[in-house]
Amino acid sequence: MTRLDATRVVVERARDAAIVASLGHPAYDLFAAGDRPRNFYTWGSMGLASSIGLGVALARPDVRVVVLDGDGSLLMNLGSLATIGLLQPANLTVVVMDNEEYGTTGGQKTPTAHGADLEAAARAMRIHATATVRTVDELAHAIDNARRTTFIVAKVRESAPTAKPPLDCVFLKQRFMDAMERP
Amino acid sequence: MTVPTWAAGVCAGVHAVGCRDVVYVPDNPLSHVLRTFGEQYPDVRLILATREEEAFGIAAGLYLGGRMPAVMLQSSGLGNSLNALTSLLVPYQIPVLMVVSMRGDEGEWNSAQMPMGRAVRDILNAIGIAHVTAESAEQVAAAVRQAGTNAFSSRVSCACLLPKLLTAGELTPRQTADMTVESGRRQP
Repeated sequence: MTRLDATRVVVERARDAAIVASLGHPAYDLFAAGDRPRNFYTWGSMGLASSIGLGVALARPDVRVVVLDGDGSLLMNLGSLATIGLLQPANLTVVVMDNEEYGTTGGQKTPTAHGADLEAAARAMRIHATATVRTVDELAHAIDNARRTTFIVAKVRESAPTAKPPLDCVFLKQRFMDAMERP
Repeated sequence: MTVPTWAAGVCAGVHAVGCRDVVYVPDNPLSHVLRTFGEQYPDVRLILATREEEAFGIAAGLYLGGRMPAVMLQSSGLGNSLNALTSLLVPYQIPVLMVVSMRGDEGEWNSAQMPMGRAVRDILNAIGIAHVTAESAEQVAAAVRQAGTNAFSSRVSCACLLPKLLTAGELTPRQTADMTVESGRRQP
């Protein structure tokens, strides 16, 4: 399963969910898999995708929120798992696209390449619904069955991105906010 | 326990702006504010973050979801926040009301707090975030409200700075006036 394969599964299953993507390749693949107004693409703030997603989930308990994070990015903000475990928003699903490398910066290995276990970290921080998936079917099943705060590690192969979202940050924000206000 | 005037002012100002979500990293003076929110403002949600950068990420998400968030932090945490501010909140025009409990300014005893304390206003100026300083306990509510109105109308975050002597209850209006003259660096 490449990261793009996994991202396509997320977009297909997410329906009207808000999707927040970490900067670089996760955001590029989200744009390629299916640009939609309820996608929020970050162009910076590495590590904060899960925090942004948490904020959206708290603001809008009526909307499902899916975060597309990277393993390197999440490792920059592991405290986020403790905060999510504390608040437990039922509408939040965090999917970590774990390619075991810093894909956007040249493929340097991350600690997950040496056995660091992000699913175990999430469980240790009281996120109880967790999974590590390796195929598109497993990922689809995990997303479809997310009924409470859910954390999914998707083991993916790095794949070269084919497209990038618009660079206009204010446009991206406004489009997202407008889409969140529409039913 | 009685609520210090300045702390009651922070709560009143944050509430008057319309903020009902307060994301925070704790700080000794801010504990008075947190306690007052908890006891007197049942419609305000307090959200604990593990680090200031994370707090700004959560606040950004709250805004994207239609809320008007406030972030409360100690000035030392501004250093932890810079990447979130400069690569998320500022370029995306995502505003939050920042309430900053100062360390390293007048009255500081801990030398490890002083370099950042001295730099706070210059850093905020450099990244384009406006700030106001509460000059007396009685003025805190108005200063917080002013910062919040500025932030949410301009869509650029704005900070209300709470001097250490103010939160320590050692600041009289007269002392503040003297300090302003001496330092000559306070922003309007």
